[in-house]
Amino acid sequence: MLSDHPFLTRRQWLQSAACGFGSMALAGLAARDAAAAASPLAGRPPHLPQRAKRIIFLFMQGGPSHVDSFDYKPLLEQHDGKNFAFDDARVLANTGQKGSSQRVMKSPWKFRQYGDSGRWVSELFPEIGQWVDDLCFVHSLHTEGVAHGPATLFLHCGSTNLARPSFGSWVTYGLGTENENLPGFVSISPSLGNGGARNYGNAFLPAVFQGTALGKAGGSAAEATIRNLANPLQNADECQRQFELIQALNAEQARRTPDDSELAAVINSYELAWRMQHHAPHTLDLSHETAETQALYGIGEKETDNFGRQCLMARRLCEAGVRFVQVSYGDNTANPAWDQHSNLPVHAQHARRVDRPVAGLLCDLKRRGLLDDTLVWWGGEFGRTPYAEKNGTGRDHNPGGFTVWLAGGGVKPGVAFGRTDDYGHMAVEDKVHMHDLHATLLHLLGLDHLRLTYRYQGRNFRLTDVHGNVVREIIA
Amino acid sequence: MRIMTHGYWVILAAAVAAQASDTPPPAVPPLPPAAPELQFAAEDLDFFEKKIRPVLVEQCYQCHSAAAEQAGKLKGGLRLDSRAALLRGGESGPAIAPGNADESLLLDALRYESFQMPPRGRLPAAVVADFKTWVERGAADPRTEVAAPARRGIDLEAGRRHWSYRPLSKPQPPQVANAGGPIDAFILARLAEQGLHAVALADRATLARRLHFDLIGLPPTPAEIDNFTADESPESYERLVDRLLASPQFGERWGRHWLDVARFAESLTLRGFVLPEAWRYRDYVVAAFNADLPFDRFIEQQIAGDLLPASSIADRQRNLTATTFLVLGNTNLEEQDKQQLRMDVVDEQLDAIGRGFLAQTIGCARCHDHKFDPIPTRDYYALAGILANAKSLEHANVSKWLELPLPLEPDEDARLKDHEARVAALESQINSLKETVKLAAAGNPAREGVVPPGDLPGIVVDDKQAKLVGDWKLSQYTRHYVGEGYIHDLNTGKGEKTATLIPEFKQPGRYEVRLAYTAGVNRCEATPVTVFSADGEKTIKVNQRETPPIDGRFISLGMFRFELNGQGFVIVSNEGTQGHVIVDAVQFLPVEPPRNAPATATQVAAASGGAAKPATGTPPGANAPGDATARESAAKAKEEVALREAELKMLRERGPRRPMVMSVQEESRIADLNVHIRGTVHNLGERVPRGFLQVVSTAAPPILAEHSGRQELAAWIANRNNPLTPRVYANRIWHWLFGAGLVRTPDNFGSTGEMPSHPELLDYLAASLIEHDWSTKAVIREIVLSHAYQRASTGDATALAADPENRLLWRMNRRRLDAECLLDAIQSVSGRLQLEPGGPGVKPGTAADYGYVQDSPRRAIYWPVFRNALPPIFEVFDFADPGTTTGRRNTSTAAPQALYLMNDSWVTLQARTAAQRLLAGPPGDDAARVRTAFRLALGREPTAAEMQLTLKQVAGTSATGPPDAAVVELRYARLVQALFASLDFRFQD
Repeated sequence: MLSDHPFLTRRQWLQSAACGFGSMALAGLAARDAAAAASPLAGRPPHLPQRAKRIIFLFMQGGPSHVDSFDYKPLLEQHDGKNFAFDDARVLANTGQKGSSQRVMKSPWKFRQYGDSGRWVSELFPEIGQWVDDLCFVHSLHTEGVAHGPATLFLHCGSTNLARPSFGSWVTYGLGTENENLPGFVSISPSLGNGGARNYGNAFLPAVFQGTALGKAGGSAAEATIRNLANPLQNADECQRQFELIQALNAEQARRTPDDSELAAVINSYELAWRMQHHAPHTLDLSHETAETQALYGIGEKETDNFGRQCLMARRLCEAGVRFVQVSYGDNTANPAWDQHSNLPVHAQHARRVDRPVAGLLCDLKRRGLLDDTLVWWGGEFGRTPYAEKNGTGRDHNPGGFTVWLAGGGVKPGVAFGRTDDYGHMAVEDKVHMHDLHATLLHLLGLDHLRLTYRYQGRNFRLTDVHGNVVREIIA
Repeated sequence: MRIMTHGYWVILAAAVAAQASDTPPPAVPPLPPAAPELQFAAEDLDFFEKKIRPVLVEQCYQCHSAAAEQAGKLKGGLRLDSRAALLRGGESGPAIAPGNADESLLLDALRYESFQMPPRGRLPAAVVADFKTWVERGAADPRTEVAAPARRGIDLEAGRRHWSYRPLSKPQPPQVANAGGPIDAFILARLAEQGLHAVALADRATLARRLHFDLIGLPPTPAEIDNFTADESPESYERLVDRLLASPQFGERWGRHWLDVARFAESLTLRGFVLPEAWRYRDYVVAAFNADLPFDRFIEQQIAGDLLPASSIADRQRNLTATTFLVLGNTNLEEQDKQQLRMDVVDEQLDAIGRGFLAQTIGCARCHDHKFDPIPTRDYYALAGILANAKSLEHANVSKWLELPLPLEPDEDARLKDHEARVAALESQINSLKETVKLAAAGNPAREGVVPPGDLPGIVVDDKQAKLVGDWKLSQYTRHYVGEGYIHDLNTGKGEKTATLIPEFKQPGRYEVRLAYTAGVNRCEATPVTVFSADGEKTIKVNQRETPPIDGRFISLGMFRFELNGQGFVIVSNEGTQGHVIVDAVQFLPVEPPRNAPATATQVAAASGGAAKPATGTPPGANAPGDATARESAAKAKEEVALREAELKMLRERGPRRPMVMSVQEESRIADLNVHIRGTVHNLGERVPRGFLQVVSTAAPPILAEHSGRQELAAWIANRNNPLTPRVYANRIWHWLFGAGLVRTPDNFGSTGEMPSHPELLDYLAASLIEHDWSTKAVIREIVLSHAYQRASTGDATALAADPENRLLWRMNRRRLDAECLLDAIQSVSGRLQLEPGGPGVKPGTAADYGYVQDSPRRAIYWPVFRNALPPIFEVFDFADPGTTTGRRNTSTAAPQALYLMNDSWVTLQARTAAQRLLAGPPGDDAARVRTAFRLALGREPTAAEMQLTLKQVAGTSATGPPDAAVVELRYARLVQALFASLDFRFQD
């Protein structure tokens, strides 16, 4: 699709008043080889009719328990404390042993039905519960990787350990961006752990498709920004003078080899950086939002302030034309936030921090009409077991069956697809593999996962490797 | 190509059986013989004809029939066009078990449980139900076997005709007038064929800068340029080349090139584990290039150094260090299926060896015959068998790479042995002293042995705070406990009870974890205690009949790393136990990171977030046993223990440390591997004798049964008759000097790689390499002395139009400085650069790379290559992905590069340091300083226009008179940073 040497656009800069001195000096140069300037980030037509133009992925790092949130299993209450044989993923991988004895553990949270669709939601998520008629639940997800690292990489890159481009990189590679003054793919508060930057990395795709990190997990969202947007030692005036000096020198140096489009591309990257430096802070500045909107996301309240800011930032970035925004609720540890091996009730604390902001985001997107062409994806790298880990007081990882939900851009609202067994352990009906989910999300964005390929080391690669089926049943 | 780990479907296949059932799954029934004379009931056959056959024909035959096989489109080795074929099945086993639908893979696949078939979409539930009925009723099927045509294999003879597998010979250079030498003869002849001309040679200042960056990775100083341009003697160029080749910085530049190929890194992505000994390999590589170690020996040392004979300890050290190459992969240590992990490691090694030395994508043959190149799956497992005999990991929940003691010179070894003996003696002394304490404690049923948790150092989680599952009883019977008593499991409900103890850490770090219990004869001898930490989980069996060794109260469970908010806790279970299981408390004692200067007790306590308390020994207060004399002797012994322990700690920290090296070890049992069908470790095919690539018909050395074959593999690759190795390496050298290889896919010489632009020149260089005893420097020298290398990088309209990519080498390529050259050049300009060679570069005590702050005055090659925390300049400027072999880096142009150069705080500070350097220099006017700045940064004088532009920036006066020093410094900093960001700094002509 693209060459290994992408050039940046110079499409708009001549019209841009902000460009100033540098680009004026460059004008002659640019005119000569404007033809060579197809930007890899410029918007590109999709393969298929597009149901969603962009995605917000709300990543619940660590594996939230589906049987305590959205996958209601009355049998857990009935059989609480009893031992049954389960094919535990970890035991199976370690020893090959099937059917190890495990103690069923009921959910400490009550479930009730919400909305016209009557979906069951536990008391962990009373606010998200109000939106079930807009949500499309997939209860039969299953994935690869029993530990966080591999499963997190699989979720993002479709492989447990090989260096592969991340989902957002594939999307920006396929579609470009709607606003070249901002990065096309942003990951808000990504974790350093469990694959870290590889989860928003471009691997062998050209570097322009790499995700841009905004802050990091555990940091304050109020201070999260894009790296190097401002010079730490220069004021605005000095920055302007330095930029002008750089571009003046560049124009002078490029004069000697006027035919070199590679040099022109570098000069152009300064123009783009300069524009980004001016536009991005505005997009990230939440003070432009009304008090009502901020309150909607729970901003200003202790528990929800941080995640609320992340969600609101995601909306603003989407509105500004960013193609893929990931919001991570997590931390930097090897066993991240939702990872309740020993103390399941801690789930409540995490739920309180995300419930309101997520509901606020849904509400805000909807009332602005953005939900029509924005796809929201909520989920973790796997679910949790319906039985107690090591007969203790928490739940272990469960890649064999778990729930994610989608909303907006092209999915059926108010439905539930697929089913786990009566304990919620294994997906058994209408199973959806993570590869299938990837294929489906790409499809909604207008990308055919079989055709979205990149040639590297002698063969074509794709996000879904040699797998993946579009789950047509959930498409509106 | 490689399919994903197939482990998951094994799990899923069992999903249905898993539901609420504690009965074992039914055994697989023996397969009925595929007897053609089987009689089926007419209605069953009718059912087949109506309901089954049409579906098979329509939905399956395209990929699973004799016709598909003939067309080379058969998938999974499975045919569904006869009953015999169904029973025989494919790569994953029989497709049906007549009479048992649940055991039939075909049904699994139709239900989208294991495989998902047909791939285009699930069949309607009613159709799947028909198949179930059909299989349950015996799978009636009148179809007989259609003779299968001969399987299309790989044609090795045809494969050998591909250019890179052909035998190597030394071509004669064509006769060309005015060709400087053979290299130019080849190039000029090609140009002449196309009617093109090469451009003139570059000017001397450009050549000086080019040679410096290409050979040593550093910019020339202004003086070096002046000397070179002033010396117009014909030999001056050659002299400069020889000086640079002999410079110790040469190995740092060229070693770094090799580190790209070797996927060198100093940490692992998952969990960010730091590889503390990896730097030894980096230093080995630098030294190898500086010494111009013949490349064939370089290969042998890296693949089989541990097996090579060595004539000295230094040789042995070097050989062993070289094998770190094998274990630098970005391994997923927490893969839970350890068989899978073992094969993943082998696969990674094979990938690095295959692409690094042979430019072959061998890994593509892991699951099936290579789709494009003549590499059958058998070859993959013949090679994999060799590497599988080298142990690379010690397996555990989170497995661990091997670190072996580095062999030492006798005197050094003696010194270490002496030290180790002193440590051992001290340890044994401490143990016997502790025994005394223990006896004293045991001999005196303690009455005063109760200690409040708050009096103990570190973080103490009492049984009272434990989260309990099942019925536990509080007891105070044995009065030697923490808090208000201890709990026991009543010796009932075995397997039903657990106690989970969760500490609240205020500081992340390493902690010693100790379990407190009360001993007794009715206790359990093997209580399973599991510690969950940032390093995974570990179960320790504790004998609770024995008095705890520490204060008669605690037993140490080991050292563990914990993170803030992470999942750190301890579970005591009564599963599989006999006798009472006791839980009193768990203590987490902070341990300062290793390799740090010794910390004081106060610092240790502060690190735990508590007040200063001694970290070991008896807590304050009279908690010693009751009897006066015993108490006295116990107290004395304890005091002695504390003293000796302090001494031991000192000895360990101050004493010599035995150097370790990352390496591999031959397995004790040497074996061949079976083919892994579809790459799956749980689906084995035929056994394959260890061997090499058949398409390379170099006389393969036989592998003796008792040899792993690794040494033979190394010798086969390093053989001068191997057509790939010398071509691949000669091409790499060309690539590193020109920015593009004669083959532009340096890691892929297979049929999907590019063809060489100058095949004869490549063969000439490869042959020349061998003639010069595999000398890297000799080949570099020959290339840089050619006119082709010395040409200007400027354009020529005709040539540019005819050959815009410069495949014919009519000019030198203009190249970007890579991340390392940028970093080194920036620090050269700022004057901060230190040229100290080698040694560890990671800050001591770094266990995980997360959030590591990168900064050092040393050269870029010594900045830690952390997979989760690369230096920002590496990340932005296309540093090689340390996860995989990289022969050719990306060259991207993106806004983050511009933002980095304009705004990054490190660059900004370097610019400011450079400004201070300029202003501190000999007094002069602004024009002189600007000239110096240009000469330092760009290796040339400013043009008139540049001078005018920059003078305006630095020289302005303010309304009140001359600007103050701070303003001037800021202006010069701005100038330097603009130079860093300018094209002529970022590119090399």
